[in-house]
Amino acid sequence: MRREQARAEAAFLRGDAGVDGRATDEETRDEAEVEKDKAREQLFRGRTYLGREFLTWLLWRSESTAAVTALEDVDVEVIFTGRLTLRGLAGDVVELVARGAAAPYAEQVRRALDVGLLVHQARLRITHGEQVFEATLDAEFLDVRAAKLPELLTEEEDDRLLERLALTGKLSALVDALVGTFLEIRASPTWRRKVVPAMKAWMGEPGAAEKASKDVEAPSGRPARAGRRVG
Amino acid sequence: MPVLGGAVTFSRFHAEHARKPPSDLRRWISRALASNAFEPLDPRRAEEDRAVGFVELEDPDATEFAGVLQGEYALFAWRVDAIKVRAAAVKAEVERWIAAETAEKGHPPGKREKAERREIVRQQLRQKAEPISKTHDVSWNLESGQVAIWAASRKVVEEAAAAIEAAFEVRLHPVTPGAAAARAELPEKALLPTAELVGVGAAARPEVDHEA
Repeated sequence: MRREQARAEAAFLRGDAGVDGRATDEETRDEAEVEKDKAREQLFRGRTYLGREFLTWLLWRSESTAAVTALEDVDVEVIFTGRLTLRGLAGDVVELVARGAAAPYAEQVRRALDVGLLVHQARLRITHGEQVFEATLDAEFLDVRAAKLPELLTEEEDDRLLERLALTGKLSALVDALVGTFLEIRASPTWRRKVVPAMKAWMGEPGAAEKASKDVEAPSGRPARAGRRVG
Repeated sequence: MPVLGGAVTFSRFHAEHARKPPSDLRRWISRALASNAFEPLDPRRAEEDRAVGFVELEDPDATEFAGVLQGEYALFAWRVDAIKVRAAAVKAEVERWIAAETAEKGHPPGKREKAERREIVRQQLRQKAEPISKTHDVSWNLESGQVAIWAASRKVVEEAAAAIEAAFEVRLHPVTPGAAAARAELPEKALLPTAELVGVGAAARPEVDHEA
């Protein structure tokens, strides 16, 4: 009894309990609020949101299977394959991961995109002429992870090293070309006027992809080809 | 050694020189790397648990950097050695000592004695531990200015990048959409978050472009 009384007095002196012995109302932050603040901080840090808009735009563009851009006059085609990580601020959800061979193009993913969970990390297959690369890119740093390069053609060890380095340089250049095309559109009035509404339509409605691809003009004023998504 | 084979994972940077590099690139690179060459941990120095520095790409123990240039690339590595003493191992040893002391003296040792013993045990285990050594390749295309740090850990990437900046007197700019936009001098107004996509509140929205 005396020991319990001593414990209660100690708790009171520490401020852990009130006069009535009940726990005091500490100003503790809700865990969900802390999580949301972290998500918000990451969104703006280093303009990560631009990286997420880029990968989300790229997902939208890739659905048409037409070339997204060109490098050295050769078309660059992109397909999203396998795992996709979405991040953002959508109510209480700050991250969703979609897995499955066709998961990136699933309606569930589009619904999540529609509420602000944008592509944060994705596995891409990038085709440039006869060369096929695969890589996982993230929105914050555009680090290249677990890339697969085309098979090396040279036999000599020193030459193979340089060829491998050249291929990683080519992969970097392809990513830069995709980013460059995105930024050109992003900085133009076409972005808000046409591209964003088309992307939202694609996210929000089943079968919206076909409709969206015919509605968007290229930034340079070239009319869209039938079935080709431009913008 | 990922550059030579294996997993292809790297962080990309663009190098901006404070001054034009000298014409003797090999000498310039060798001297810069030597200025922060790796030195092994001295197990006798208790305060050192980690050592970092540049090493040759194909030999993590070599710091001559004679063959650092290959074609248009400078190739080297960032080595990180660390001594780690497992907390569980320290705890087990201390508990054995506590049991022995208690049996001998009839009472357990005090708090301060335990703390002192813990530090002694940690140092003893540290003396016996082998450093864990990791190297992370760096490839620098001297023509395009692109630097790739072949590491998966962001902490290592940032540490190696800072060391390269200091050794070579360059700025390493990350190759992100934000950085690319800044280099292209795109207007700030065009770079604010797209509210319709990211879902942030009105405070983050750009001014309405009435011409759009």
